[in-house]
Parts: sequence; structure tokens; C-alpha cells
Amino acid sequence: MNINKSNPLLLHPLTKWMKKKKWSWFPHQIETFHHVRSGSDVVVFAPTGAGKTLTGFINPIDDLIKSKKFKGLHTLYISPLKSLANDIVRNLEKPIKELDLNISFQVRTGDTTPYKKQKQRQKPPNILITTPESLALLNSYENAKEFFQNLKYIIIDEIHTFLDNKRADLLSLNIERLQTFSPNLQRIGLSATLKNKQDAKKWLCRKKSKIVSYDNSVLPKIKILESKERIPWSGHMATYSINEIYKEIMKSKLTIIFVNTRAQAEYMFKNLWLINKKKLKIAVHHGSLEKNLRLNVENNLSKGLVDCVVATSSLELGLDYGDVEKIIQVGAPKGINRLLQRVGRSNHNLNTPSKAILVPTNRFEFIEAKAAIEEIKNNNLDKIDLKEGSFDVVAQHIFATACAGQFNINDLYIEIIKAYPYKYLNFNDFKELINLIQDGGYVLKNYDQFKRISHLRENKNIYKLVNKKESLKYRMNVGTIIENPMLKIKLGTKTLGNIEEVFIQNLSQGDSFIFAGQVLEFQSMKNNLVQVKRSKSLISKIPSYSGGRMPLSTNLANSVRSLLAKSNMWDLYPDQITEWLKRQKEISKIPKKDEYLVEQFPRKKIFYTVIYTFAGWHANQTLGFLLLRGFKESNYKPLGFVANDYAIVLWSLKEVKEIKKILNIGLLDKHLDNYLEETSIVKRLFRDNAIISCLIERRLPGMEKTGKQVLFSSDLIYTVLKKNEPDHILLQSSYEDAKKNMIDYDRLEKILNKIDKKIILKKLTSISPLAVPIILEINRENLSKKETEDYILEDLEKEILKEANVLSIN
Amino acid sequence: MYYQLINFGNEEFYAYPNKSLYWKRLNTLIVSDLHIGKSISYAKNKQFLPPYDTKEILKKLFVCLDQIKPRNLIIVGDLLHDVFSTLSLKDQDHKDLSKYMSNTNFIWIKGNHDKNIQIGGFKNFVNYEIDKFLFTHIPIQTSSFQICGHYHPKVKISHRGKTIFKSSFVHNEKIFILPSFGILTGGLDINSKQINNVLGKKNLNIYPIGQDKVYKL
Repeated sequence: MNINKSNPLLLHPLTKWMKKKKWSWFPHQIETFHHVRSGSDVVVFAPTGAGKTLTGFINPIDDLIKSKKFKGLHTLYISPLKSLANDIVRNLEKPIKELDLNISFQVRTGDTTPYKKQKQRQKPPNILITTPESLALLNSYENAKEFFQNLKYIIIDEIHTFLDNKRADLLSLNIERLQTFSPNLQRIGLSATLKNKQDAKKWLCRKKSKIVSYDNSVLPKIKILESKERIPWSGHMATYSINEIYKEIMKSKLTIIFVNTRAQAEYMFKNLWLINKKKLKIAVHHGSLEKNLRLNVENNLSKGLVDCVVATSSLELGLDYGDVEKIIQVGAPKGINRLLQRVGRSNHNLNTPSKAILVPTNRFEFIEAKAAIEEIKNNNLDKIDLKEGSFDVVAQHIFATACAGQFNINDLYIEIIKAYPYKYLNFNDFKELINLIQDGGYVLKNYDQFKRISHLRENKNIYKLVNKKESLKYRMNVGTIIENPMLKIKLGTKTLGNIEEVFIQNLSQGDSFIFAGQVLEFQSMKNNLVQVKRSKSLISKIPSYSGGRMPLSTNLANSVRSLLAKSNMWDLYPDQITEWLKRQKEISKIPKKDEYLVEQFPRKKIFYTVIYTFAGWHANQTLGFLLLRGFKESNYKPLGFVANDYAIVLWSLKEVKEIKKILNIGLLDKHLDNYLEETSIVKRLFRDNAIISCLIERRLPGMEKTGKQVLFSSDLIYTVLKKNEPDHILLQSSYEDAKKNMIDYDRLEKILNKIDKKIILKKLTSISPLAVPIILEINRENLSKKETEDYILEDLEKEILKEANVLSIN
Repeated sequence: MYYQLINFGNEEFYAYPNKSLYWKRLNTLIVSDLHIGKSISYAKNKQFLPPYDTKEILKKLFVCLDQIKPRNLIIVGDLLHDVFSTLSLKDQDHKDLSKYMSNTNFIWIKGNHDKNIQIGGFKNFVNYEIDKFLFTHIPIQTSSFQICGHYHPKVKISHRGKTIFKSSFVHNEKIFILPSFGILTGGLDINSKQINNVLGKKNLNIYPIGQDKVYKL
């Protein structure tokens, strides 16, 4: 198409508005308009600042104006975040109001009042801006078909955040439902730049579809913090560079410091405050903080009222903070896409480069930071792997469907397999999921008289809800995001946010901890509220949150490996890093890109085996466990292991003589089941599966079930089910989740395949420089949870007996 | 089978990791809060727990009876979860029960969950006294030693930075509370108000239950 010759947007109502603002259309906007107008589904890839939001609305607004006084819902806009949805409304408001267009638009999220929601259902606006969960809810109402039957467009914003998780499954199923309601519905996806654009298209679009992309963005300027201090061997807190970070904050008008965990955010914030002599306005932002506190920070950020915000991924997406001048990333970037997303939070102007500084917190992270900067220069992004849809989400969708009215299971099945993640869902599994919703789907048919849905007597394919009240339970359980059990923290009457129950359980009265940037003293816990007061204590704990540990991306890992092997580059690094690598080369070896270095050395009568896989934490953790089993089997008397993103270290009482006999693909077959069994990984995922599939309730109407109770009963259910019905569909589903998310099975399999030919074995007399960081991480033994619990009891009993001067042999 | 010896009211009791208590002198086995059929009674509220609890509880109980062959079995309440629970007892279960009843007296102290339910072969009591020991579901005002259930006691243990919750036997000078023998039953913290009101806070003897061992704190 020659878009220069004739601009199809010339007569578009928005063109007038753009002219007034002295803006002009981007080529990708014109192209999108053209394709959508000719009936294609489209995915648009563009960086921030390239008018993405408006791009989605060009066709809907044109169509709404042309069709004059269109009644009902015309366009649905799906945003991954509530806050982003509100922002979209503000952006849409400007042209519509200024041009005085007769188009109604509203937002609908979990924060919308029930009254407003009710009104929206009776009289829908032309454009509704909402989230995947709110869409699922809308689809579960009996009048869903009437509500959506004239829908023309669905726009999915930030589609790259939806591709590889259960939310994507939920959204995908609901898009297909909308298509059934309104067969001519067109789909428009908006995405940040992606490596595998075709995959995003496959996920969202039907057959007739196009990709539009805007790629000539300015490269960001990223450098590594130059520090006079020594980069530590290991650790993740960047204490060494705090003064230099502070100087960087002073140099810029507004800085966001990104860290990788909530604990790091609190820690960094505290350390900055300790040296804040210039009284800079510094704030902290993370997902556990109370909504109002977060909104407050966001507001101050957009108005430029702060100098610096320390944040986790909670600020990665979302509002346009035009004044942010600089991004500081503390800790490993972990992935190229993630780093780019973060860096892109500064300078939302398309023609000026974003500025960022990376602060490695240890030596490996220095190499990782270097590699990330290289890859960004080469525009080598991470691939986002589409995942096969999860069973539990289908179960939830079946329940939702039943809430909307009676349905034919064959029609539903055909609709579901149109959704990309469920292309390969087979009918038998689908039928088991129907049974799961019906009565738990157990082989032992005990619940015939208590079914939740059942088929009609005259037609076995048509199912309906047995009791309409059940739809209330569905609405309480909708969604795929399951938080760990959390407790609210109260300072006086003010709520500060949520904290993991596990953390609080480990505190005693009077202990102090850091939260929301303040040192707090734990006073009491009542009715799921944690009462605290301000404390001046200097010793304080920092809550850790178990979820969301991001492994190093495969792409970046490969890049780290090749960078490490390029010895001609080393002289460009800080002396300490150069020295470190040179010593490694002398004493042991620097592995080549496709080699796996294994080092073995004794230390204090214990034998250490270090394996450099660069496989990311999840895969390494799994491999560590499998090897532990393997070592045990070969009678090397292993004592434990520790894994990080780059390597694994195992230590044993006997020298490991034939590592190649153990470290190979056979490990997976031999010990993986055992691993899943003994650790609580599957059990934990079973809880998520049980809640998402509505087998157990997240909350009961009128009564908030405490997180603890849910956790507790799902553990019991898991144990009983596993013993009696190991093939139950939810157990299968939990195993699949474990394979995909927690153990990085595919990645591990790829590495172990033929690893025996790529192992470079170095027998050393003492620890090597490269091994120092991981050896420093050794601080725990890896026993299975059950063993640990009994170990605690035994130990405690012994201590008490000792105190009481009773020596007893049981 | 490993046991922990517990001295209560000048009598010796054996506490087993399977959550049963054995009074050797009187050849009497004591269990509590089996909550048989909890799954089926949840199912009526459309909470579909795996329907295997009844089978598993009975199996566990029968193993105990086979090993110990007691003259009496005392259930200190909440044998059944509710009236729907009887639906989960199949013909075979009734047959098995009556087989064991020929060698052992099944004494069923009624709990708050199973007050008005009857099953053939059981001897029903509100409470039951032998030798100054009163067996009751919920403790009452009395000068006797009491052995009861109802509370499903669990103890929270924080040690070396880790916290765990464990079912446990617990008693003070006069009152002994058994843990729940059930499969899908939850528990209550020994430091909770409800248990404090019964046992007080001080001088408690707590016996947390590990995998194959009962410990003493």
C-alpha cells in the first residue's frame, strides 16, 4: 500500500483535532486505520510515545461518527491494569470533548461502584474501558449476548503482557465468547516491540490479519554505574554504591530506581534515607502497599513533586510520567524486554533517547548488565513463549458460561478450541473439566444429589446451573491472579498495605521491620489485622515475598555466556572484574559459549562440585535437586546444594568421581517425579488451580475466608486426592503448571540433552574465582519440607531437654 | 508403633503419631473428632472436596484396632460431621464396623456435630466415666479428670527462624484434649482464646505430632 499518495485519514474527525495540536499522524496509525477498515484484525507494535492508545481508537471513532447515534456498546478496550484503564479514559476524553463528539465512554474495573456497574449494564456506553476480569464477569451475566451483540471492535492494550500467563487464557476464552455474540467483531492489539511478532498475531487474530509496526525508535542511552568501590562478590543489595546512586539522583530532575524485589525496594529506600542530607523527596512504590499510598506516589510522580521513587515492577507499566529523566536499574536486568520496558519509563518523547544507569550488585551481574546493553544495541529482544492454555481457567470459564444460562457442551467446546491457547484441548479433557465444575469430577461418584451444574433430562448435551445462587460464588472467584495469604498492616487506624502472613508468623511482639519505608514495631495480630507502631530501632527485618522470582531469560543468558568468553573485551571492564576473569582463566577455565564448565575442588574435607549452566534460577534449582538425588544414589553422600541464575554448587562428603554418568538427560526420567513429590511446588500450585477452577472458594459471600484457611484446606485436599485419585484433572493441571513455571522443564531438557558432550571438567585443588560468588551463597541445607519440620521439632526437643539437664534417649 | 508416654491423672497413656491415645491399664483406645463424611456435607454447599475421607478415616481406625485389639474404643465426640455424613458410609463400611464391634466395645460420646445421629452397634453416651476419668466432647465443671476433644488443638512453633503448625495432644493438670483423628479437619491454635479458656495459659503439656513420632515440648 502506498500510504504517502493518499492519506485515508484526511477526512477523519480526529485529524482536525490533531492539526489544532500541531500533531500529525504516524505512518503506523495510517496503516492500522487502512487495514482495520478493510476488515483485518491487526496487531500494532510501537514504542511508548508513538500514540499507541490513539491508534486503537482511530477506527472505532470513525465508525461511531459515521453510523450516527449508534445505540449500545460499540468498542471494548481491555487494559492489563486498573490504573491504566483510568488513564486511557483521561486520554480519550480530550479529543472527544474538544471535538464535541457524540460518543459515550466509561471505565469499568473492580473499583467501579456496584451502582454504576448496574447502570452500565442497563445502558451501556459506546466505548467501555475495562480489564480481563471485568470482561469475564460481564460475560457471566444472563443478558451478556444482548449486551455485546453489536460490538464492533475489541482493543487489547499492552498485549505483550498477556501472552504467557493464565490471564491470557482467560482473556482469550472471553474474546472468543464475544466473537460468538457478535460474529463481525474485529480485534486490535497494541503491543510494545516484540521479537516474535507473529506469535502475538497468532494469539489474538483470526485468519485475516496484519502486523503493523513502528520500529525506528531512538536507542536508549544505557551505561553501567562507574563506581570507585569494589563490586561485591555476591549479594543483591547494592549497599556498596549507595553514595554514587544518591549522586545520580541529585543530578537529574526526576529519577525512578527500579529494583527486582519488594524487599530490595524497602532496603534501598531505607539506605537512601540514611544518607539523604540534601533532604531530597524520595518515595517507595511496590505492589504490597495500600492503594492510596501507591496512588499518592503516582500522583506526585506525574506532577513532578518528588525527586526519586524506588519501585518494583509495580511501576513498569502504566501511566505516562513525562518528567522522569533517568532510570536506575539496581540488580540484574534478568531479561532484555524487561530492561527495555523499565528504561522506557523515562522520557516519553519519541525523538529523545531514554537514559538509564545500571547498578550491578555483584560480579556476575556486572557481566549480565554489559550483555544486556549489548543486546539492546543489537535490538535482540527476548522471545515471549506462548503457552498452552491451563485447564483450571477452562473450568472457571465453564462455570461462568453456566452462570449466563444453559449451554450446549459441544458448542462450548468448539468455541473454546478457537482460542489460540486451547487449539489442542481434547474433548475428553474438556469433558472432565465439565465434570469438575459439576461435582468435583471424582471417580467415586458420591455427590449425585449435590451437583452444581447438570444436564437436562431430555438432552444430555445441554447443561445448566442447578441453583442460580451459585453464580454469586462464581463472581466472588473470578480471575487467575492468586495472592499468597496476606494480612493488612495498620498503623493506628491507617492501613499501610499488605504483608505476607508467613512473615508475620515469624515475628514476635516487639520485633521491628521495615515496610512502606518506615521502621515499624509489631504489636499484635487480631482478626487478620497486624497492629504496628513506629519504631526507632536500628535493627529491623525486611519482609520478603515469595512470589515472582524472575529467572534470567534464555536470550540474555546466551549473551552473558558469549560475552564472558570474549577475553579481548575484558580490559574494558573495571580492574576488579578484569582481574577476576583473568585469574579464573589461569586457575581454571572460562567456558566457551556452548560449553558447560564443571569445577570440582575440596575445601575443609568437603567436596564441592560447581556447574555453570546459566540456565536461570528455576531450572538450576531443579537441576540441583535432581543431582542431589543422583549423588545420593551413587553414594557420594551429598549434603546439600545452592543454585542461582548462573550456576549450581553441590557439596558432598565423598569425592564425586564420574560426574558425566550422573549429569545427563537420564536425570529427568529418574528423579523428576520424586522432586515434585518431595517439595511443596505442586502442592502450592494445586492451591492456585483449586481456587481458579472454583473447586474451593477464594471468599464466601459476606464472609472473608482468611488466606490461612484456604491454604490449609487445599493442602489437605491435595494430599487426599493424590493418594486416592492421582490422575485427577486438577492434579494433572498442577503438574503442568509446575513443569511450565516453576521448574523450567523445557529449558532444562534442552540443556541436559547432549550435555555429556559439552562438559568441560576441571579438577582443582581449591576454590576458583568464578565459584566464589555461589560458594558465598551457601547458607542452608536443602531438606524437604516434611523432613525440615521434623528436624525442627527434634532440635527443639533436644534443646529443651538439655536446658532441663535431662538426658533422655527416646 | 512408636509412642510417647504421657502421664495424666497418675495414669499412663500412650500417644501415637496417628493421633490416637491408648490407656493400657484398661485396654482402651481413645480417638476424637473423626468428622466422617465431612466431604459429603460440604458437597451440599457445592464445595466438592475429594470424597475419600470416610474410607481413609475408617482404614486408619481399623489399622489401630488390628494392632492394639483394645477392649474398648472411646470416641470423644464428632464421629460424624453431620446428618448427611451417614450417606458416605457404604454397606461394606457397616459390615466392617460390626466385625470390629464383636471384639471391641464402641463407645460413642456425642459431640456438637453428631448429637442426634444414630448408627447401629455403637453405645451412645453424653459423657462416660471410668475410675475418676470423665470422657466428654467438651469439658464440663467437675472434679474428675477429663479427656475430651472438640478443639482440634494445633501448636505454633517458631524455632531458628522457621514457624510450623502441628497437630498436638495437650493437657493441663485436669483436662486432656485430643487432636482430631480426621483427614479433612483443620485445627485451632493452642494459644487461641477458646483453648485458653479451657486449659489456661500456664503449665500446659504439649505433644506435637511429627511424621512418625510424637514429640514433647
